[in-house]
Amino acid sequence: MIEALDVVLFLVLIAAAVLALVTKDLLTAVAMLTAYSLFVSLLFAGVSAVDVSLVEAALGAGITGLLLIAAILATTRRSEPRPDPRRRYVVLPLIGLFLALMLYAATGLPDRGDPDAPAQLGVSQIYLSQSLVDTETPNVVTSLLADYRSQDTLGETLVILTAALSTAMVLVRRRDQDDHAEAGDGHDSDHAGPAGSDTGGDDLTSTEGDEAR
Amino acid sequence: MLGAYPSVVVRVVSAVLVPFLLLFGIYIIAHGHYGPGGGFAGGVFLAVGAILPRITLPSELAYRLFPTWLGPVVGGLGMLLFLLVAAAPLVVGGALLDYGAIQVAGLEASRVRYLGILAVEVAVGFAVFGAMLLIFDVITGADEAVRQLRPAANVEEDRR
Repeated sequence: MIEALDVVLFLVLIAAAVLALVTKDLLTAVAMLTAYSLFVSLLFAGVSAVDVSLVEAALGAGITGLLLIAAILATTRRSEPRPDPRRRYVVLPLIGLFLALMLYAATGLPDRGDPDAPAQLGVSQIYLSQSLVDTETPNVVTSLLADYRSQDTLGETLVILTAALSTAMVLVRRRDQDDHAEAGDGHDSDHAGPAGSDTGGDDLTSTEGDEAR
Repeated sequence: MLGAYPSVVVRVVSAVLVPFLLLFGIYIIAHGHYGPGGGFAGGVFLAVGAILPRITLPSELAYRLFPTWLGPVVGGLGMLLFLLVAAAPLVVGGALLDYGAIQVAGLEASRVRYLGILAVEVAVGFAVFGAMLLIFDVITGADEAVRQLRPAANVEEDRR
């Protein structure tokens, strides 16, 4: 039953990803990405990773889409075609090769929930059994993130804040620069927009990936 | 994108929704010990609660409720709180972020760690809220929107 649902979710995921790549309308692409995140969060919930699922739903499906839409409204709505169509003859085989490599590597992974998997034999047993005694916290994920592995969380928080501050440094126009921007080149500000918002989006997804791990 | 949304239904619904969004964000942060949630997700919900008025309600109201300085200031305060909590055990000879080393009369070490986790979650929530709000504000050019509002405010002050 759950297996069948998983298969359907994976198919929807692939469809959403392909649609997001193919479509020329960037707002549609953002909607597809948001749908993708929502289905990924369903998938996470299906394997009982509710914390990751919640963060994925809030960050991936919620605020990332919002920020991307804001960036699109500040810049342009249409994506431009690639300058050189021959690129795909190089890129597609590379993607296929990478996919084959990943699938081959996945055959060596332990089964989901396997108690003898290497990840289950190390410190994780101590975390799982001692969390309630050590920290009075029933949710092991929280005690892991904020106590046992809190240095990782410190690093992630620094990364998020640094990302926001550097986005601000790139995008904020100071008062003394306004005259130049208005007098000369609308083009320059147009170009600064997408580049800056791209970094913002990338930072978001990368921090989200860290949190998911 | 910024400013009042044309439809009155959208404006009313989002105005009603905002306090509950903020409450839900606080709940997610505070409930991380017992269920899914924590600083990251809760901070995002708080940020959405601050962003929703900006894209649906009139600008004067939205920026009076959640001014643009809120992003960097709250984000920085969250980071500062995290660093203070991280450094506190060092004072009593413990390791970095080892809250259990702090001895509080009447509290067991596990309880101190419980409270340390809560403080860290709150700090992370603040930092994420500030970061998200700051990113949204600079992408939408909210600083310019505020500057456009300012002359009107000056005129009112002159009248008085």
